[in-house]
Amino acid sequence: MIRFIAKRLGSGLVVLFVVSALTFFLLYISSGSIARNILGDQATAEQVALKEQELGLDQPLLTRYLAWVADALSGNLGASWFTSEPVANSLASRIPVTMTMVFTAMILIAICAALIGVLAAVKRGWVDRVVQVGAIIGDSIPGFVIGVILVTILAIQLGLFPATSTISPEAGADAWVYSMSLPVIALLINGVTGGAQQIRSAVIKQLERDYVRTLRSRGIGEREILFKHVLRSAAPAGLTVLSLQLIGMLGGVVIIEQIFALPGMGPLAVAATGQSDLPVVMGVVMYTVVVVIVVNLLVDILNGWLNPKVRVS
Amino acid sequence: MKFGRQAAAAALILSASLALTACGGGATAGGAAAGTAATSLTLGTIQDVRSWDPAQAHVGHVLQPYQAVYDTLILREPDGKLSPMLATAWKYNAASTKLTVDLRTDVTFSDGAKFDAEAAKANMDHFKKANGPQMAQLNAVKDVAVVDADTIDINLTAPDPALEYFLSQAAGLMGSPKALGTDAIKTEPVGSGPYVMDKAASVKDSQTVFTARKDYWNKDLQKYSKLTFKILTDLTARTNALVSGQVDATILDPKNGKQAEGAKMKLAANEVDWQGLLLLDRDGAKNPALQNLKVRQAINYAFDRKTILDQVMLGQGTPTSQPFGKASGAWSEGLENYYSYDPAKAKQLLKEAGFESGVTLEIPSVPGFETQISVVQQQLADVGITLKVGAALTNTFTSDVAAQKYTTMYFSLFQGEPTVAINQIISTKALYNPFKNATPELDAKIEAVRAGGADAGKLAQEVNKYVVEQAWFAPLFRVNQMYYHNAKVNVTPQIQQAVPSIYNYSPAK
Repeated sequence: MIRFIAKRLGSGLVVLFVVSALTFFLLYISSGSIARNILGDQATAEQVALKEQELGLDQPLLTRYLAWVADALSGNLGASWFTSEPVANSLASRIPVTMTMVFTAMILIAICAALIGVLAAVKRGWVDRVVQVGAIIGDSIPGFVIGVILVTILAIQLGLFPATSTISPEAGADAWVYSMSLPVIALLINGVTGGAQQIRSAVIKQLERDYVRTLRSRGIGEREILFKHVLRSAAPAGLTVLSLQLIGMLGGVVIIEQIFALPGMGPLAVAATGQSDLPVVMGVVMYTVVVVIVVNLLVDILNGWLNPKVRVS
Repeated sequence: MKFGRQAAAAALILSASLALTACGGGATAGGAAAGTAATSLTLGTIQDVRSWDPAQAHVGHVLQPYQAVYDTLILREPDGKLSPMLATAWKYNAASTKLTVDLRTDVTFSDGAKFDAEAAKANMDHFKKANGPQMAQLNAVKDVAVVDADTIDINLTAPDPALEYFLSQAAGLMGSPKALGTDAIKTEPVGSGPYVMDKAASVKDSQTVFTARKDYWNKDLQKYSKLTFKILTDLTARTNALVSGQVDATILDPKNGKQAEGAKMKLAANEVDWQGLLLLDRDGAKNPALQNLKVRQAINYAFDRKTILDQVMLGQGTPTSQPFGKASGAWSEGLENYYSYDPAKAKQLLKEAGFESGVTLEIPSVPGFETQISVVQQQLADVGITLKVGAALTNTFTSDVAAQKYTTMYFSLFQGEPTVAINQIISTKALYNPFKNATPELDAKIEAVRAGGADAGKLAQEVNKYVVEQAWFAPLFRVNQMYYHNAKVNVTPQIQQAVPSIYNYSPAK
């Protein structure tokens, strides 16, 4: 197991390195005159040249990339070109917001999707059809539309929740709970319907397997078959779906955070990318890659724990 | 089986919603912070400031937050009149090359430093070398000399009629001389203004909180005990925050404004920008057709400005044929409808110009202006002009414009003071004159404005008339800035600013 984890971590590092290089070079190609962007349309050519020097943009690309890597390895992600704020500070204040939201949504999705998916698979009949129709409807409404509808009804008309985030250092834990409620629900609905659908298929597939028939023929109770055998075998499929959803959610959360003005990674990513604020974009990308690697690793470990067969392979 | 479905639904609702309402203070969670006390003001702003260094301040809505903590030398009233602030009086020499400024003697900065002539000089020297976005405001300034403890001389290389105006803007913001140039001032401002930043309550890109400064020298400008800027980049978020009472005022657009009006929000509208076509390649370097005056005029006659305004902007604005703003002094009634909608005349002009078979213009698409561009395209097609819309502008568009990538473009531009507008769209150094079009006649008119002192506005009418008659542009309309506020606050619009100055808000009685 340890060797397996070490191998996974090693390949993760390689991915991190490759992505950082790709991002750095792609951003450079598409970003044009960054100094001009920073200074605005009134700046003279001399001002622009001065700024380029200040930011080190007059250095060759490779030199700049290597300098970035060296700094990053020593824990220094640099500072925003536009605001001079250290990237590490920006990430530190924003990651908790996004992660709280994503993981709360994910835990709720896992619970709800598993319940609904298993129920549909076991009961079949009209329950199954309702779940299927629900999945289609849920999948076809984007999260941000759900978000806007929720705000209009629950926040503006009924006043139950704040329309935009009230999270701030002076606000207490209740502000977190209130501000997160609607965004989490908006993220949740797609996840639950999509997840339930996948879990349903996985469970049905297992229920049709020979070993289930054998177990039944030996007079073992349905409940035991389901919980002891079928769910354990269906779990890897479910876990994979959920991990994919979590990774997909890192993208979906960007729009949700904008709508609810949550001070998370989304607005930072959008603003930094729009401005070609390279140090910040690199920070955001590194964070995303790390999350993806960690999530995948956790899923692999969980799968191994649930199903020893996976560990061997 | 019935129970199963209900249980699933209950799981959803319970886990996501009911559990969350169990803790916390009830339904007022959102609204409580904003404006329940008459002396707190919460404003929804589009973006956070990049740096609190006063030399990094910008114009318009990016100037407002700086006004909370920094006083300017000169105060610009809502109608544009310049009044004393940190400067008590100012006067030019006969040649308009030296501005002597008398300063207040009773002002301190929030770190205890005293405001005096040395401090003013330190700020202007810093501004000139800090490479901020508005550094050009002091381009005409040669140096600043301390005359005595409360007087400075600002020496100019050439007269600049906009200098006094600039001293009410970014270039006039005064920070503590002890803090200038340090890293600390980038994240925590140190000024002499009506408010001081509450750093502990502020979060970058989320909210900035200010409290009233004790012993502020001008209580008339300090109307609130607490001031919060809530950064709401997203238009929907701003609309929701306003109608739900989380912010007292914010800027929207005509469409979202309807929703705000439905929630009884008040509009403080103000024309700040103009929209239309910039016919950049007037010498025909890349598109020979544009060299022909009649072609440029035909383009102007092709537009039914009123209908476009009504359809696209819900009528929020005024059709116009001139690029200079109403408040600039360069505006002229006679030019307002210089090019009325006349497709027959447009076709006739094209025929006279020898372009009967048609003219093709290429423009870049502009994010957010797709509707306008497609209407423009249609109306141009009606007179025989083909508009080919290319790839969208990206964040490198300023460099692209400067590199003569576009011969024509649709844009929305700020309408500033005459020399500001000239430097932006007309002079050969202007970004939006990338082909550096000029004629001796126009140069003479521009020179007259620059040397015109107090008459600059009137003299700029000649420049305005020239570019309208020569059809340098095809302006469509000035657009209203849709600034909305609730009933708890009175707001006075500020000319040439999408967002009012911070002094223009007061609690509604």
